[in-house]
Amino acid sequence: MSARAAEALGARLPALQVAANRVAASVWQGVHGRRRVGPGDSVWQYRPYMQGDETRRIDWRKSAMGDELIVREMEWEAAQTVCLWRDASPSMLWHSKLVTTQKRERADLLLLALAALLLRGGERVRLIGGPRSIGGGGLDRLADDLGRLEPGDGLPPPADLPRHARVVLFGDFLTPPAAIAACVGRIASQSVRGHLVQILDPAEVALPYHGRIRFTGLEREPSALVPRVDGLRDAYRQRLAAQQHSLAAIAASAGWACSLHRTDAAPETVLLALYLALSGDRARR
Amino acid sequence: MIFAAPWVLLVLAALPLLWWLLRVTPPAPRTEVFPAVRLLLGLPTTEQTPARTPWWLLALRLIAAAAVIVGLAQPVLRAGGELAGSGPIILVIDDGWAAASDWPQRIAAADTVLDRANREARPVRLLTTAPDAAGIAPALTAPLPAIEMRARIATLRPKPWPPDRATAGRALQTATGDGARIYIADGLTHGADWDGFAAGLRAGGAMTVLGADGPQARLLLPPVAEADGLRIRLAQVPRPLPETIGVLAQTGDGRSIARLDLSIPANASGAEAKLTIPAELRNRLTRLVLDGAQSAGGVMLLDEGFRRRPVGMLAGQASTADVPLTGPLFYVRRALSPYAELREGELAQILARSVSVLVLADRVVGDGAERAALAAWVEKGGLLLRFAGPLTAEHPDALMPVRLLGGDRQLGGAMSWSKPAGLAPFASESPFAGLVVPEEVRVSRQILAAPDAMLGARTWASLADGTPLVTQIAMGAGRVVLFHVTANADWSDLPLSGLFVDMLRRLVLQAVGVAGEDATARLAPLETLDGFGQLGPPTPGAAALTGAELGAAPASARHPAGFYGPETGRRALNLANHLPLPAAASVIAGASYAPIGIAGREMALAPWLLAAALLLLAVDLIVALRLRGLLGAIAGLLLLIGLPEARAQDGNPALATRLAYVVAGNAELDLVSLAGLNGLTDFVNRRTNADLADPAAVVLGQTDLSPFPLLYWRVSPESATPDAAAIAALNLFMAHGGIILIDTASGGSGTGFPAGPDPVLQRMAAALVVPILAPLTPQHVLARAFYLLQDFPGRYTGDTVWVQRDQDRSNDSVSPVIIGGNDWASAWAVDAQGRNPYATIPGGPRQRVLAYRFGANLVMYALTGNYKGDQVHVPAILERLGQ
Repeated sequence: MSARAAEALGARLPALQVAANRVAASVWQGVHGRRRVGPGDSVWQYRPYMQGDETRRIDWRKSAMGDELIVREMEWEAAQTVCLWRDASPSMLWHSKLVTTQKRERADLLLLALAALLLRGGERVRLIGGPRSIGGGGLDRLADDLGRLEPGDGLPPPADLPRHARVVLFGDFLTPPAAIAACVGRIASQSVRGHLVQILDPAEVALPYHGRIRFTGLEREPSALVPRVDGLRDAYRQRLAAQQHSLAAIAASAGWACSLHRTDAAPETVLLALYLALSGDRARR
Repeated sequence: MIFAAPWVLLVLAALPLLWWLLRVTPPAPRTEVFPAVRLLLGLPTTEQTPARTPWWLLALRLIAAAAVIVGLAQPVLRAGGELAGSGPIILVIDDGWAAASDWPQRIAAADTVLDRANREARPVRLLTTAPDAAGIAPALTAPLPAIEMRARIATLRPKPWPPDRATAGRALQTATGDGARIYIADGLTHGADWDGFAAGLRAGGAMTVLGADGPQARLLLPPVAEADGLRIRLAQVPRPLPETIGVLAQTGDGRSIARLDLSIPANASGAEAKLTIPAELRNRLTRLVLDGAQSAGGVMLLDEGFRRRPVGMLAGQASTADVPLTGPLFYVRRALSPYAELREGELAQILARSVSVLVLADRVVGDGAERAALAAWVEKGGLLLRFAGPLTAEHPDALMPVRLLGGDRQLGGAMSWSKPAGLAPFASESPFAGLVVPEEVRVSRQILAAPDAMLGARTWASLADGTPLVTQIAMGAGRVVLFHVTANADWSDLPLSGLFVDMLRRLVLQAVGVAGEDATARLAPLETLDGFGQLGPPTPGAAALTGAELGAAPASARHPAGFYGPETGRRALNLANHLPLPAAASVIAGASYAPIGIAGREMALAPWLLAAALLLLAVDLIVALRLRGLLGAIAGLLLLIGLPEARAQDGNPALATRLAYVVAGNAELDLVSLAGLNGLTDFVNRRTNADLADPAAVVLGQTDLSPFPLLYWRVSPESATPDAAAIAALNLFMAHGGIILIDTASGGSGTGFPAGPDPVLQRMAAALVVPILAPLTPQHVLARAFYLLQDFPGRYTGDTVWVQRDQDRSNDSVSPVIIGGNDWASAWAVDAQGRNPYATIPGGPRQRVLAYRFGANLVMYALTGNYKGDQVHVPAILERLGQ
């Protein structure tokens, strides 16, 4: 069901081919041409027939144009692996009264929609902390594997990622900036470029409460008794802005991108931003 | 409405204090779950919200408190007024048969009186107007507290006999004091003593009569037997509206076999109607019951007297038998037809049907078969009733109770000195005892019995001169009775008198074994009715009585209505037999009348108020939880407790489609197999719609093979021979649609190399059930399942691939085993860097692509069977459809 919704969401965008700026070293065979002779579907070059070539590889139509026999060779194709992860910690399993969507649901939807786009583009997708990578029509299996990931503590677990893969992390990123910086640094050290998507509930952005309230967390944080929330709202917003600022700084220092998504906004917006960000490098290339 | 404990209401004055207390106590803070609580911690707090309990919550709590206080004051709704006077209350309850139909309302009315007496703490004296079951006459009890009196009233039951008005009236006369007198009346006089009873009621304090609106009791009167049914009669106090009431005729086991609807006109004191019922059914009736009336007055018990006995009749001369006034059977028919069913015909015909009595009017019984048949019938219990006559006088046969003198005796007449003789009174041991002998009956001719020592004992009736008129003899279970006169008026006046009817009737009664109406034998009570008209064991006060007394006794505690006597000949004593017809009691002067069963009992409000307070406090709890934001959490918690732990089993191979390889025991080979299947899985997932999960390793004989569509088995000369369990598992796998790809990886070895692979294959597959094999050709489905393939290379190429030769429809024509030596796993293998570690021989990317394509075909073949083979026939099918 989640996979269906994600496919419907991604259906409006063309298939996403991730920019692979280091094609020659890219490891997985797929649609990114490696500019070399090898197994593939598209024609790379024609060359004269040489002794030892199989006769069936002769392109008879091409050969008939001239005097010599022409052999057709294919381009070796490669695919980019994109590693996806979303925060499954308890703090994601929450929504305020302003919206009906949990942050975790939205993260799942975005992840699967992105995966659907990538799979249609022939790329390979895998989950950080999940089983091996998936290609072809494996969206259902990806959704299945997604539900079985360990809840975790709000940051991706250490994992061996394919070199030069791309990483997209979805989460609320409310953990202390130092921990986020350590985690991003660890991933970036594997020559992996990435993208952080912070998903927040509108209530977490605006703090729309009034009166005397005891706030309790979902991850065993100490509770906070606020005598009057109205007097505290500005200070809270400043703190949240500081957190987002440091998140952006962490991403920038690793050469990553960072975007914010609120669960009351349409998911297409952030999906389009991700699409542009992931395919943008290719346009530059 | 009154309060039983009004002083508790003083506590209401404390409510403002409660209001103030609730108002100054701040409510608990609301609780909100907030993931970003970390950001909130340590923020400086500025001001306090003035914490106030909302006004509606305050009102809710105050109402709950007020409900508790008012409830503890014990308010009572619909409480009757104060009871008059100061002494003990005298409660008079009619508990005769007429009170049974609405007994629960009467008890409820009595309970209401007790409620009031209890509240005023006044003792109660009880007088039930009917004698109790032991026959003790009604008497006032000692004054008792209402609580104890309630238990006594709960055990009261209506009695199946009428009240004793006279004794009850006297008991009331003697009672002193000005306590209120309350009379729960059945509205009937029950005889002539009503005035004295009414005077007794008036003798004390204020008088209240509780009763239904008009007497409700109905009395079923003894029915009148008619030739083809019963005439049913009903008596009641006239009512203003016409009604219809059903009468059920029931058998001994309680089944109703007939129903009669009696229409009672308006203002009628009774009704009657005829219930037509066949004689056989009528003999089985034991009672008539008024439908819906739960009263002894609505039950009429029927005993032997109401049962009909079929009577067969036969005359000496059939032609003249029924001539009016002179025929021999004319009078017998007139006498018996209201009481018995009469049957005529030939003797054999009559005996073939069951008859109780056979009347032979001057018919001589022939010797031989006829006599033997009759004798046998009598022996079995029949009553043979014979009348004398000219034929009998001439030819007396042997089937007679006494030895007869030939000829007849003429009494009176022109040539005789004697005069026609009258009848002597019946002896007390005779079944006719009690019947009055009319003076005018004269006998002019008779046949005489030979004097005999036994003659006196065999005579039931005799003439005034001592000669026998009726003689009898017991034969086996039956009896032969002889009237020494004719059955018509030729020889005597007897057939013209009512005595003849009574005598015949009593004789017919004899037929079923009633030993005669022995007026002196004592009949013990067998079953008696209770007040609601149900038969049960006799009451303790029921006493035996003689047959004569039974006919004359009114139903009473000593002789309650019911069945008396032995089981075989029981007699019914009915309530209505000697009861005065129901008559409405006159109004008692000075008494106030109130209906029963309309106003409900008084109701204590305390439990309702306390329950309401509890409900309000529960609402308050929910509201308080909601104000603190905990409601959802608690509801969720309750939901979670109820939910079973739902968790997908991870690692179950049946949850996903995946390829598998057989663990060969050689780590290097297993690595190649795993890498090969990884590469193939990747290729298939990329190029086809198949969605394969990570490949699995199976150990033959241990792993369940059923989830896997395809098994890759790489054998080598070093491989161990599989054991029996492994072979069994493989055979089962193949028999149920699985495919094994056996790869000897020997394609590159070429011919002439030592230790060829075929001996290995033979050794390892010796016990496998392998079908007859044939080389794989491009025409085979496997070559067309996904890609169109001409050859099937792996790392090597050119080796022959073997598949099943014959088509096996039971397995969808899918070959269960594919054997080859092209080392496909090496060609498919992909290492961690995504490179192909094993070069293809002779080489080229094309061979690897073809190897992958063969793998894809193999997976498709395993997953879809010969689906592609079916496609071959599509043109033929389309042509046949006319497309």
